Formats: sequence, C-alpha cells, structure tokens
Amino acid sequence: MSPALDSTVPGTSGAWVTARPTRAREIAQRLVRLPQLVLANRDLVLTTLRRDLSSRFQGTLFGWAWPVFQPLFLFTVYYFIFTEFFQARMPDLPDSQKAGMGVYMFCGMIAWAALAESLARGTGVIVDNGNLIKKLAFPAELLPLNVVLASLTMMLFSLGIFLLVATFTPVWPHPGWQLLWLPVLLVVQGFFIYGCVLLLSTLQVFLRDTAQIVAMVVTVWMFATPIFWVPELLGERIANYLPLIHANPAFHMAAAWRGTLMGDVTIPLTDAAHPELARVLTPVSIAAIPEHLGMFALWALALYVLGYSFFVLSQRRFADEV
Amino acid sequence: MSYALEAEKLGKAYRVYAKPLRRVGEWLSFGRYKGHHEFWALRGVDLALKPGSSLGLCGANGAGKSTLLKVLAGTTAPTEGRYRVRGRVASLLELGAGFHMDFTGRQNIILNGVMMGFTRRELLAKTPEIIDFAELGSYIDEPVRTYSSGMGLRLGFAIAASVDPEVLIIDEVFAVGDMYFQKKCVDRIYTFKQRNKTIVFCSHSLYDVRQFCDQALWLERGEPRAIGDSVFVTNEYAAFQRQHIGQVAEAVRGEHPPVPGVESMRPEDMPSVLDARIYRLGTDEECYQVQSGDSIELRVWWKNPLPEKHPIQIGIAFMRGDMTTCGGSATHFQKVELKGTQGCLVLKAPNLALLAGQFLIPVVLFDKEGVHRYQDYLMPQNLLVRAYTRDIGLFRLDLSFEQRELAPPAARPRGPAAQGA
Repeated sequence: MSPALDSTVPGTSGAWVTARPTRAREIAQRLVRLPQLVLANRDLVLTTLRRDLSSRFQGTLFGWAWPVFQPLFLFTVYYFIFTEFFQARMPDLPDSQKAGMGVYMFCGMIAWAALAESLARGTGVIVDNGNLIKKLAFPAELLPLNVVLASLTMMLFSLGIFLLVATFTPVWPHPGWQLLWLPVLLVVQGFFIYGCVLLLSTLQVFLRDTAQIVAMVVTVWMFATPIFWVPELLGERIANYLPLIHANPAFHMAAAWRGTLMGDVTIPLTDAAHPELARVLTPVSIAAIPEHLGMFALWALALYVLGYSFFVLSQRRFADEV
Repeated sequence: MSYALEAEKLGKAYRVYAKPLRRVGEWLSFGRYKGHHEFWALRGVDLALKPGSSLGLCGANGAGKSTLLKVLAGTTAPTEGRYRVRGRVASLLELGAGFHMDFTGRQNIILNGVMMGFTRRELLAKTPEIIDFAELGSYIDEPVRTYSSGMGLRLGFAIAASVDPEVLIIDEVFAVGDMYFQKKCVDRIYTFKQRNKTIVFCSHSLYDVRQFCDQALWLERGEPRAIGDSVFVTNEYAAFQRQHIGQVAEAVRGEHPPVPGVESMRPEDMPSVLDARIYRLGTDEECYQVQSGDSIELRVWWKNPLPEKHPIQIGIAFMRGDMTTCGGSATHFQKVELKGTQGCLVLKAPNLALLAGQFLIPVVLFDKEGVHRYQDYLMPQNLLVRAYTRDIGLFRLDLSFEQRELAPPAARPRGPAAQGA
C-alpha cells in the first residue's frame, strides 16, 4: 500500500469530504506541506519531469545535444551582436572588457528564459491536462510544478555552458565565491516561477483569455526588464522611471543572477567624460547580491502564497471547468 | 459496523455561464452579482456500502451516473452533502487516461502507475504481471501510438487492475473491446469481489449490474429513483425504460395487411374491438402489475354488425418494448368461433411464465383466414411483470440444479479426440 495516495487523494483517509469551501487553515497547511507532498509523490514528479524533458527532444536528430547547443548559440549571438555591432551604447568600453556586455546580457537571459518559458508553457498546463484532472485523482499542483522543474532543468544546461565558457575562455574572469549563492538563488527562482505559473494556470481555467494576455505581457515585461540594457547607463533619461524599474521583480532576479554568476567584477572605466560609466558593472558584485536576492525572495514568497492559495481555493472546480 | 463507502445527501451542481464576461462580473462584484445558473447533475444521493458489497448504477445517459462516480473517485468535489471512503480507492473512469503516445508501453506502465499513486519500485515489480495480463508480448516496447485501440485498452485495464484497492470505482470501461477482453475484465473484477473489496460500478448492461452487484441505484435526472436489491432495481428500471419506447405502438400496426376493400366499408358495418382489460384469473380484479408466475386473464369486448358477411378472428400477443413478440395466440389457431354481433373473448394465462418487463398487448381483429386485419387495437395499459429471481431471458423455464456422483460416460467410439483422454 502506497502512502502517497492516502495523503493526497480526497476521501481515501476515511475523513468526510464535504461541500464546504476550503478553509484558510487548510490553505496554510498546503502551503507549508508542499515539500512533503513532493517527497511523497517523488516518483510521479520525477517520471513526469523525465517524460516532459525527453519528449521535447524525442525524435529530433540531435536529441540531448539541443539543450547544450541552444544556450551556446545564444551566448555566441549576444557576444557578437552586443560587443561588435552595438557598440554605440558603450563607446568607451575597453577592448579587454568588451565581452562584459555579452556576459551581462547572457546572465540576464538565462534567468529570464526560465521564467518566460515557464509562463508560456505553464499557463495552459491545467486546461491542457484536463483529461487527467477529470479522470485521475492526483495532486494537480504537480502539473505546474512539472513545468517549473523542466524549465529549471533546461536552465541548468545554460548555467553549465556559462560556467564552462567562463572557466575555459578568456572572455570573462573566473566566477568567484559568489557562486555559493547559486543553490539559494535556484530555490528562490523556482518558487517565484511556481507562484506565477500556479496563479496563471488557475486563472486560465476560468478565463481562457489569460494565455493571450500572458503572451503579450511577457514580451513587454522582457523589454521593461534590464536584460538587454543597463539602467545605470541611461542615467538621467530614466531617472523618473527608477522606482518603477525597482518595483519589477524581474529586475531583482536579473541583478541577483548577475551578481552570483559574474562575481566580484569591477570594470575600470578610464573615460572621465562619462563618469557614470564607472557604475556600470561595479554594482554587479557582492554587495548587491543580498539586497537583490532578498527582494527577489520576498517577491517569490508573496507570489507563491498568492498563487498557491488561489490554486487551492479554485481546485475543487477544476474538473468541472476544463 | 463501519462502512467502506458512505454518502449523505450528495449533490453536484455545475455552473453554467452564458458568457465569460458574466464570470468576470461575478468576480468584480465579489459574489453579489450571480451570472451563472446551476445545473444539478446529481442530488440527494445517500449511500452506505459495507466492505465486500457492490453497487451498480443504472439510468439513462445524463442521469448522473458518471458524475456520481467522479465525485466518489475524488476527481471533482461535491456541491452539497458529503461522502467518505475508508481505505485506498482506485477508479477506472477511463482506460488509458494519461497515456503518452510516443512512449513505449513499458514506459507508460510507469507513467500511468505513478499517476495512480504507485511508487516506481512497486510498478517495476508489477510490470511482468501487467504485460502478461495485457497480452502485448513484444509490443510492450513499441510506442503506444502504434497500438490498436484494443491493445491500448488492454494495457490500460491491466495497469488499473493491478491496483489493489479497498474500493474500486468503475465507469463503463470494458463495454468497449472484444468479447475475450471483456471476459478477462469481468473475471478480474470478480476476483476483487471475492476478496471482499467494495465495488461501485456503472453499466448500461442491466445484466452486468445484476450479475456483479448485490445492490443497485437507479438514477433519473440526477436523483435516485430506486435503490436496493439489484434484481428489484434493474427490473424497475427495465420496466420504466420500455414504457418510454413510445413509437412501439405505431410499429405494432402494419404488420398485417388490411382486409381488401376495408376502406369502402360503411363505418357502422366495421367489426371492431370495443375494450380490452386484464384481470386476475377468475376474479373481477383488474390488474396490470403482476409478478412472474401469477395467473391472469385478458378480456376483449368486440362487436361485429354483419357476422355472416364478415366472419372475424381475434389474435392477442405479448410484445416486449423492443418489438419482440414473446407469445400469443389467436382464435383461428385454436378453432374458436366468434359468433353473434358482439361478445367478450377471454384469454386465460395461468402461471404466467414471462420474466420481468413491460409488455404491450396488441389485439388484432382478423378476417376469417387470419391473414388480413380489420383493426389493430393496442390495449391501453401495458402489462408490467416483476420477477424476483435472477433468471435471465424472456421466460422462466422450470430449471433446477442437482448434483450427482456420476462417473463421466465412456468416450464415444468416433467422438472428437478432445473428449477427456
């Protein structure tokens, strides 16, 4: 007899299953017990994760070379485009540090890609698996979790590429001890994305317009987040928007990732005509990590609580709506 | 006594929104505006099943059978009332739900199994048994998309059947599939029953419900119409079902060609049936609901203004709702003459052997040879027969079992070789 079923499927424990709405206490319990749920259903989580990942590349010519090749390709593109072709924005970057911009963008892109991909795939995850929801009694929150874990796994490939490139090429100095933040950052990133996906996939059940809206918003959100641009460089022009930029959780996400991956890096900018450039990449270092990571973690917690609560409250109607 | 499954006033309503906008309106008004109407798919179901008992659900499409199963299986929440299940519950609402088409059968065993709450280790141990039951052989390592639908069903059932739950909830899953597969499923479900597991089962086959289940629940538009002994409930349901085949009355006509020239006859010259009723044999007590084995008589009042010119014969039949003529007789079969201008013909049916069902009784007024008809008359009320045995078929034959200590007979000299070596 598997212990997993008893704790997760309503009705099996011998307790009454009633029509009353879920109580706040029960929501709180579910919020806290997510790790236990995942542990109890670890075989389900791992099997579906494996299914999800391998079905992405099943039948392709290169198979598992793809998740390696994709970030490598992206990295190359950023490196060339932003260091060779778009020099205008950074005219005074010393030759030895040109690559810095490519790395800066790639770092932001790694984190952003995991988020954007999860939102794109995850919004419809409950509706798309309607047949499972209707026919099998299993913890449905594992469906969005699966999406998040899959994109985090893909992210690990990108991270691997990043570290390889950073270690074995002169493009960038070796990452520093800040890499120790990585596990924490991954967990925070996971909760952040999970909260978003829970919220949106639940909303999608009741309002099918959600997926359309998400597709639009994600595009806008990407350009509103300093992935391809450096807020400090824009100086006065964006001064009015700074509070807005700082209110963006993805800004803290990108900053935390950069701080962790790029390490203690200060770029010596010699041009006295642009003193503000001295600030370009220096904040991307140790001092900034706890601050950005802390903000990011707060956002993640808030979204997790909000998304999961919404999910738990609405869960009893899923089978009727999908 | 603790019950394996209990339900009290269980009900399920679906919300129907005419437009998505109404739902948004509901959200924005924090519930003060009601933009939906409720559709009750199920209401007022009380259940109490002891371990080892089995409940069959019958009812028309949309009567709420599947909804009840879904609620009990835990895939959807009740809207009112409550239920509880003791022990592990497994549901077979659909075979192969969650199969991944590009994966092999073997991978799908694990995938489907973990969805049902198994651990990987358990499934690996059960895999040979599952493959054996599904009879897939080497196909098990082929992608499921290459399977025939029958193979997919077999695999789905094999996985689900390997679950060893206390309570098994089965929608009509093996109505599909060939006879051989159905038999395997049925055998497997029987073993559940023998091991004191509780089964809730839904089927359109009343035969299956009667065979599997000691109790049955008849749902009608979401509400329980009858619950109790499965023989009783299925009989009630069958009777109801047949009553509703309204076009039957029309179909009764036209079986015999009309008498030539009947159109040009003056109405007052036409022979006709005036009335027809059923009584208990030898009494004046009218009755249309009897038990199998009761004795009844049918009385037919007729008139024939011109008996010399148009001699008549009368035929009476018992006809099941599906137009099967179950029995009947006619005056010309029995050399009975209908003399005079009017009379009352009595058909006696002692010890009625019909089994449960609703029977239409057409009375046909024939010409002398019994070939052409003057009139098709359908008895206004149908005969409802109830049976309290598990006999199957149309009639209760005088069947009984006996066991004897007899050696098998010697092989026939030229019989087939298979006759016990």
